[in-house]
Amino acid sequence: MPEPMPRTELAESTWTPAERAEFIRRRRGRNWLLLGVLAGFCLLIYAIALVKLHEYGQMW
Amino acid sequence: MSETAFSAELGATASDWLALLKPRVLTLVVFTGAIGLVIAPVHMNPVLAITAILCITVAAGAAGAINMWYDRDIDAIMKRTSTRPIPAGRIAPGGALAFGVILAVLSVLVMAMATNLVAAAVLAISIAFYVFIYTMWLKRLTPQNIVIGGAAGAFPPVIGWAAATGNITALPILLFAIIFFWTPPHFWALSLYASGDYERAGVPMLPVVKGARHTRICIMVYTLILVPVTLAPFVFGLLGRIYGVSALVLGALFVAYSWRVLYDAQDERGVSLTRNAPARAAFKYSILYLFILFGACAVDRLV
Repeated sequence: MPEPMPRTELAESTWTPAERAEFIRRRRGRNWLLLGVLAGFCLLIYAIALVKLHEYGQMW
Repeated sequence: MSETAFSAELGATASDWLALLKPRVLTLVVFTGAIGLVIAPVHMNPVLAITAILCITVAAGAAGAINMWYDRDIDAIMKRTSTRPIPAGRIAPGGALAFGVILAVLSVLVMAMATNLVAAAVLAISIAFYVFIYTMWLKRLTPQNIVIGGAAGAFPPVIGWAAATGNITALPILLFAIIFFWTPPHFWALSLYASGDYERAGVPMLPVVKGARHTRICIMVYTLILVPVTLAPFVFGLLGRIYGVSALVLGALFVAYSWRVLYDAQDERGVSLTRNAPARAAFKYSILYLFILFGACAVDRLV
């Protein structure tokens, strides 16, 4: 499957394939970071909730 | 198109966003915050303890990001900071500000949820202090910026302690005072050999405004104030002999390093003739000093 084109006019008009590949690599890196942060945040809130429920004796 | 401009056009990398958090500064923040938590006389659930340290770290990083947003004009002028993501054009200023504000708010909310309101309130105050008092007000106004602004970096052990206990007693206040009095000699040692950058940017750092000679004297004076402050937890019986001996030995060494800075070979204006070798050594030692001193706090409590 071909790589998606960057959504900027400049990219479509003047970037070489190597530049476009670099742009996509950077965007992918940012997206993975964001995914990691969001997943970590969800896990953190879940863990805090478990501990708090346990502390107040409402779970076990 | 230049390499830098082209790199900016491609957008930020994930590491650019992480760089906004000033990761090198965070090391000390995490460590001192963790020590505040460890020496507190209360057992804390490990999940909540890790969350508290995470919140302190993220809050400090968020304050750093907002600082980079506000200081983007002078960062572009200074050689040391000109490659940061905002002056280099890889991250838009508005994006960096939003990033910092969101992280700051989240860190305070999560701290309140995981620990208690005292810790969350002190965390919020520390962010506000760094952003409004130091970055926006003092940094560009007075050569005493580091003295008062240094308080922002002194909050982590207090927050760590408050997260564990829900209150603030004499020991965390003394730990705050230690970092408060440690910051000026630490930073002024650096500014002795990096003052050219600050001068170009118009930041009134002490060597720029008062000269190198005056700065050397101030480093010595603050080191001499720091040593008795570090001994106070031992004198008042809050920490034991392991800490007391460590504080004494480390303090004596710090005074020796400051002495070498004061009597470095220099011209009549106090400018070093040795490429500031003693100031560089004092700066490096000051970092080691704080790590070992706070490490001794933890060892003293745990042994």
